[in-house]
Amino acid sequence: MTGNGEKEKAAPDDRSFTKGLSPLQLIEIDACTQCGECLKYCPVQDVTGNPLISPPEKIRVFREFIKATDGLKARLLGPQHIDRKLLEDFTKAVYECTTCGACGQHCTVGIFTQRLWPMLRKEMVRRGLGPIGPQANLPKVIGETGNPYNRLAVERFAPWFPEDVKVSEKAAIAYYAGCTGAYEATPMVRGDVLVLGAIGEPFTMLPAEDEVCCGFPLFITGQHDMLEDLVSRLVAAYRAKGVKTLLCSCPCCVNIMSRDWPLFYKKELPFRIRHITQFVAAAMKSGKLAIKKELRERLIYHDPCYLSRGVGIMEEPRAVLRGIPGAELLEFDRNRLESRCCGAGGAARKIFSENAIEMGRHTIAEAVEKKADKLVLSCPACYAKVNEAMVGYDKQIEIVDIMELLAKMIEAVDSGTP
Amino acid sequence: MSLILISIAYLAYAAFWVRLSLHAVVWLRAARQQAAGPSAAPGKPLHAFAMTLIDLLLFRRLFASNKPLWLGSWAFHTAFFIVILRHLRFFLEPVPDCIVRVQPFGVFAGYLMAFSLAYVIFLRTATKTKYVSYQNYIILGLVFLISATGLLMRNYFPPDLVDVKSFVMGLVAMRPAPLPAGFFFSLHFFFVLLLVPFLPFHLFTAPFVAFEARKREFRLDKVMHDR
Ligand code: SF4
Ligand code: SF4
Repeated sequence: MTGNGEKEKAAPDDRSFTKGLSPLQLIEIDACTQCGECLKYCPVQDVTGNPLISPPEKIRVFREFIKATDGLKARLLGPQHIDRKLLEDFTKAVYECTTCGACGQHCTVGIFTQRLWPMLRKEMVRRGLGPIGPQANLPKVIGETGNPYNRLAVERFAPWFPEDVKVSEKAAIAYYAGCTGAYEATPMVRGDVLVLGAIGEPFTMLPAEDEVCCGFPLFITGQHDMLEDLVSRLVAAYRAKGVKTLLCSCPCCVNIMSRDWPLFYKKELPFRIRHITQFVAAAMKSGKLAIKKELRERLIYHDPCYLSRGVGIMEEPRAVLRGIPGAELLEFDRNRLESRCCGAGGAARKIFSENAIEMGRHTIAEAVEKKADKLVLSCPACYAKVNEAMVGYDKQIEIVDIMELLAKMIEAVDSGTP
Repeated sequence: MSLILISIAYLAYAAFWVRLSLHAVVWLRAARQQAAGPSAAPGKPLHAFAMTLIDLLLFRRLFASNKPLWLGSWAFHTAFFIVILRHLRFFLEPVPDCIVRVQPFGVFAGYLMAFSLAYVIFLRTATKTKYVSYQNYIILGLVFLISATGLLMRNYFPPDLVDVKSFVMGLVAMRPAPLPAGFFFSLHFFFVLLLVPFLPFHLFTAPFVAFEARKREFRLDKVMHDR
């Protein structure tokens, strides 16, 4: 990993590698024992087999960077040269990761890698090395269109929003569809809204032009500059509608909303964040939503990394699926906190598409092996990528989003389908 | 020879503290820079502390991941700790009762340390571990040499323990006494001096990280299930 590229100019003091890291993250970097145990659980290792992009190697190289700007030699003689290629290789490695956090979940020390990797990305952005590829356009695109897909606001809801579901002007409950769902996984968000409509509690939504990106793509690629602005706009808009509970189905949105929005908003949020399965599971429990139609099928549920390891939502999706009469619920070998990434995370699914497709196929293969009838997902990025992974793959299974499935069950009863 | 080793000893000692201070400066600077914001809900610190103790004493996380490696690694670290306790008799006068009592276990721990280390090195090379850290192997090799020379002294080439004690106490009190006679003592001591500046930092930081991990685990359920 020494490389032979041109030498980088000596980094001035304010260009140290630790500016955006918390004391705990710096201590975590020191605490890695380099045992390599985490490699066994890394989905990127599964498909690339390249230990140079593994957690201990990333940590080892980053230690070298810190040493070059904050070590004894740097203190006495000024910041040291760092090989340009080493910096570039590291940047690629840290962006090739899906930030799934499985390494941290299994870390023999307990390093919170799901948070550490995005922060290392932020450091690379600060030094002008990250992000990579089209990710660099995200701030411009989001600034102009409000979403990372460069799509028009008029296309956000109109193509999929069910006509017969009423959205209130103001309500205590709000639903945030999210950009990936709205533009890339429309059956999922349509399912969300249909189920909310069936529950019947009034809910509100922001107009399409105001429902801007939650900030996650910027956060995860290390580009934090616009986050404060996005978050304050969204929070103010929901507040103006009298919202007390904000519902969302996208694990990434839910993650940044609950974990980071308060930090960017600089105080507690005036509403609580709930994943849609929490709301729906409660509605099923209280009888507000009953699934009458039977589904004699074997369902296998994949835990999205940012929903299970990220915010601890693991039982509610299962409760929802168990609420479907006749359905049998199967489990992946690695489930809940230990789930294996389907490959779509970390804003890497488009740039390292081949990796992502192969990871997605691992998920499909296990579901097929377990003889599931349906692979149930609960994340728009997983939904988009695993569907893509199925194209041209010899193993086939029906992929369905959890709310899409539920909505179908409800619609079937409403339309009198036997 | 005596003068050289004594000089190296002070250099190694200074190097260790310089290294630690450099790291501490980085940690403290980060603490100063840290953005203020609503802090996360406390994660049952007492419960987390108790669980962390178990995690650390039993290497629970490693146990969950790799049982054969856990066996070697746990035995090694435990034995290393007992061996250090045993060596405290050279640093303290009078020798506390607990250190006296630990002595017989210390001998057993000396063997355990060498064997468990050899086992860990064997395991990592034989099982084709995906990630190989050469730095780690150097440190492990060094510790193996330290324990091997220690055992050689214990069994075949015993140094004069009174000389050893006055040498060590002299070093600590900054009034160096002559180096005890014996090639293996010099070698053993030299290897220890090599290790001191390169002591892996996880020894000091991992307990803190393990505690934070426990608190985070307890908090996870609160992220979306609060209020
Ligand atoms: S976060 Fe996931 S993809 Fe990234 S290094 Fe860890 S296990 Fe691998
Ligand atoms: S399991 Fe943890 S301590 Fe071991 S190499 Fe991976 S990150 Fe480092």
